[in-house]
Amino acid sequence: MSDVESSDPGADRHSPKRRRISAYDSDSSSRRYSSADDNGERRIYRRSSKSIGCNDLPVRRISRSSDGSVRDRDHNFHSRTRSSSGNHAIHTPPSDEDIATPPSYKPLKINYKQKFILKGHSKGISQVRFSPNGKWIASCSADGTIKIWDAVTGQHKRTLEGHLAGVSTIAWSPDSNTLASGSDDKAIRLWHRATGKPYPAPLLGHHNYVYSLAFSPKGNMLVSGSYDEAVFLWDLRARRQMRSLPAHSDPVGGVDFIRDGTLVCSCSTDGLVRVWDTATGQCLRTLVHEDNAPVTTVRFSPNGRYILAFTLDSCIRLWDYVAGTCKKTYQGHINKKYSLGGAFGIGGSEGFIASGSENGEIIFWDVKTKEIVQRDIGHKGVVCWVDTSPTQRGTLVSGGLDGTVSIWVDVNEPEHALNGISKVKQEESTGTNCLNDDVTVMDGVIPNGVSGYGGDDTILNVRRSSFEDGIPPKKSDAMEED
Amino acid sequence: MNLSLVDPFVLAQDYPESTTGSLRSGHATCARFNRKGDFLAAGRVDGTVVIFDTETNGIARKLKGHTRQVQSLSWSRDGRYLLTASQDWKCNVWDLQDGSILRSVRFEAPVYIAEFHPLTHLKFVVSLFEDQPLLVDISEPQPRKFSLPSIPKRNQYDDEPISDKQAAQDAKHSTTVTIFTSFGEHILAGTNKGWLNIIDVNTRTTIYSTKICTGVVIFLRLTNSGRDVVINSQDRIIRTIQMPNLSVVDLDPDTIDIEVEHKFQDVVNKLSWNHVAFSSTGEYVTASTFNNHDIYIWERNHGSLVKILEGPKEEHGVVEWHPYRPLIAACGLESGRINIWSIIPQQRWSALAPDFAEVEENVEYLEHEDEFDIHPQEEIHKRRLDLEDEDIDVLTVEPVKGEIVDAEDAFRMPVKLDLNDSEDEEEFIAVGRGEMRRKSPTQAQRDYILDSEALGDDEFKKGKSGRRKR
Repeated sequence: MSDVESSDPGADRHSPKRRRISAYDSDSSSRRYSSADDNGERRIYRRSSKSIGCNDLPVRRISRSSDGSVRDRDHNFHSRTRSSSGNHAIHTPPSDEDIATPPSYKPLKINYKQKFILKGHSKGISQVRFSPNGKWIASCSADGTIKIWDAVTGQHKRTLEGHLAGVSTIAWSPDSNTLASGSDDKAIRLWHRATGKPYPAPLLGHHNYVYSLAFSPKGNMLVSGSYDEAVFLWDLRARRQMRSLPAHSDPVGGVDFIRDGTLVCSCSTDGLVRVWDTATGQCLRTLVHEDNAPVTTVRFSPNGRYILAFTLDSCIRLWDYVAGTCKKTYQGHINKKYSLGGAFGIGGSEGFIASGSENGEIIFWDVKTKEIVQRDIGHKGVVCWVDTSPTQRGTLVSGGLDGTVSIWVDVNEPEHALNGISKVKQEESTGTNCLNDDVTVMDGVIPNGVSGYGGDDTILNVRRSSFEDGIPPKKSDAMEED
Repeated sequence: MNLSLVDPFVLAQDYPESTTGSLRSGHATCARFNRKGDFLAAGRVDGTVVIFDTETNGIARKLKGHTRQVQSLSWSRDGRYLLTASQDWKCNVWDLQDGSILRSVRFEAPVYIAEFHPLTHLKFVVSLFEDQPLLVDISEPQPRKFSLPSIPKRNQYDDEPISDKQAAQDAKHSTTVTIFTSFGEHILAGTNKGWLNIIDVNTRTTIYSTKICTGVVIFLRLTNSGRDVVINSQDRIIRTIQMPNLSVVDLDPDTIDIEVEHKFQDVVNKLSWNHVAFSSTGEYVTASTFNNHDIYIWERNHGSLVKILEGPKEEHGVVEWHPYRPLIAACGLESGRINIWSIIPQQRWSALAPDFAEVEENVEYLEHEDEFDIHPQEEIHKRRLDLEDEDIDVLTVEPVKGEIVDAEDAFRMPVKLDLNDSEDEEEFIAVGRGEMRRKSPTQAQRDYILDSEALGDDEFKKGKSGRRKR
């Protein structure tokens, strides 16, 4: 046990559980929805992380408050939310009427049921991602680890350890053999999927938390968005920072590559979504909504014609970036505080959008009609991220602040119906009890000493090298290790 | 998919304007883009072939297998195979899936130029120094070589038996350049006497010959469409010709008629040209100049000179035009760098702020009737949502105009993240103009003996690390 403990500096019970929480949480008391995380932690999590013990917290605070500008913006933001929050008071947890059953004329019929609950992370999960070949799921967590799971069986495959702080983002390379992770320790690491080992040198250059990553479709470039308000393009072969995009005036929330790799989009809490030319590094378009709500996540649509933007006014907007207009607004979930993320999926011949909500639900919208076609309780507390399988139709994964990963399958998909989950009662009303008998709970906690990592020596080395790169060691950690 | 957002004036720009950078790995002597333009292969003096990723300007692959300067490069259509010809009298066919040598073919003479068949990577044509050109079939592990004629086909009308004088003349013909036509059914061959021969691939006989220029034919290149050929000759004139249609079913060689369309030359300075290339569409022709630093660009409609590119102060050898972008790459003879000319786009500031527009002239602003009306938030919100009744399709992929559409199983070169690129780029030291010396010849020799590494030759590794430290 000590083995695991020592390799995980974040085991500190007192350290606040983190998640991709925006910086604006500095005064939590004013938050209407602070009760959204109901797992007993009333504390509002700053983007502090596991590497920060209680005693460290003030230090971080000082460092941040020393930056007056950030402070000021924080306050601005608050006034903004307060003024607009009245509009959204309606979006409290769903009543029964809200649970939309697909109208008969609609072709989109989906019925997702929880199949596996994967446990293992000791803290909240910030992102879950299917590998492009659909075989694996990677989850990253505030506990500083990344776990790889089998997408079909739910089996725990590997735990990737090495980051000094919570991991906010992960991305798969197009060949599914490499995983990139961005962490609050300001580093981006690349990992071999097969061995679980990191590539020797992390990508360093960001001055603040790395918040979002995306691979180019060819796998030769990586785009990263950081709290330092910059967007970097990396040449992965040389591990060199290729281009710095003077992106935003506030922390960058999300980045994404278009399917042919010619465009990159980024979004920020300043409310802007920018579209960049990968080849020249120039900004080609800026999308902004009148309300200027902070944008936390962006994603290109599967065909690359639209951009989906998640904003902290509990809206998801679909933008036509060529015309510069918002085409659809999806509402019904709660998103006031966390960077939630979702994905496009296909049901029948129609597209849907799936996203988490801060009340623990997963919500599915019909892309065309904007109607909610399904909503289901997925996690205790905030559902931070939802991803759909790129190969297996009707498979979806969600990760929550409760530290669990859930795999969902669409029982309407003929393949799944035959696949032994036909037992799931289809008529069962949605949104009542997620833990029915057909859900398998998988435990991904690794036994002592069998971290997929290869040994503690490596971990030590990795850490030391990070220290040398200017990341201050956490005292207590260093002591434990030595 | 960025085209819809890029300034149309930038897109309308056909040819590069100014130097935008350079690529460097050792001393490059030749370069070539693949068909999609995402990779640029470069051959070096030391025989190493480097593949640059044109998106990142980084090195995607290093191929080691030649021991002498690389002479020419040719990509297979799908971009998976690369044919390299070197001064070590060898041609290698590389499989870029794993960087291995698929076939290595040895010749009896130095190779001028080797060129892949346009449709298969198992056939190529080579022109050799003072030897007959060969058609090589490498479908079997043992390559089969077929000799091609160099002697021009005489006009049938003077049907007297070939005189001794003529026979003696014919014997002096040797082929200097060979390339395939666009379908690979014929080979175009240029000779040292300025003749252009068209050789049928199946019968390996010359079906047509014409005297196209007065000097040695140095270089031939087809446009992407295969309809035009550019010829560089020692007589200091670049010629373009339109290819006759050779794929007609009952082709009568006598009806073939090739005429020079344009002649490009510098009448004043009498410059001679090191290397020529077509632009992506074939509208432009570019050439590097002998004993001069400039790159010339002519357009083909009127045959006029449109641009002289200035760049680094050195003479350039091989010059190549990107398959679809206005971008030219040229190898500097002295430094061994690959210099790039392209367009530097201007940031449109209206792209940064969506509520701004760039106008040519001052416009008087007319206030809308309801511009400053105050509506309740809810109403605005509702109105907005009501407007969103458009049909949206997020799934269907619309083809982009001009894009090369990949097949499902199209080849993609794997991205090697653990490329051991610790090799010192400055392994050559300039000892004089155009002269380079290898820093440690033994080391460089050893790099090719990959087997020793595979065997775990500890001595070798120790030596290597020792040298590094120094």
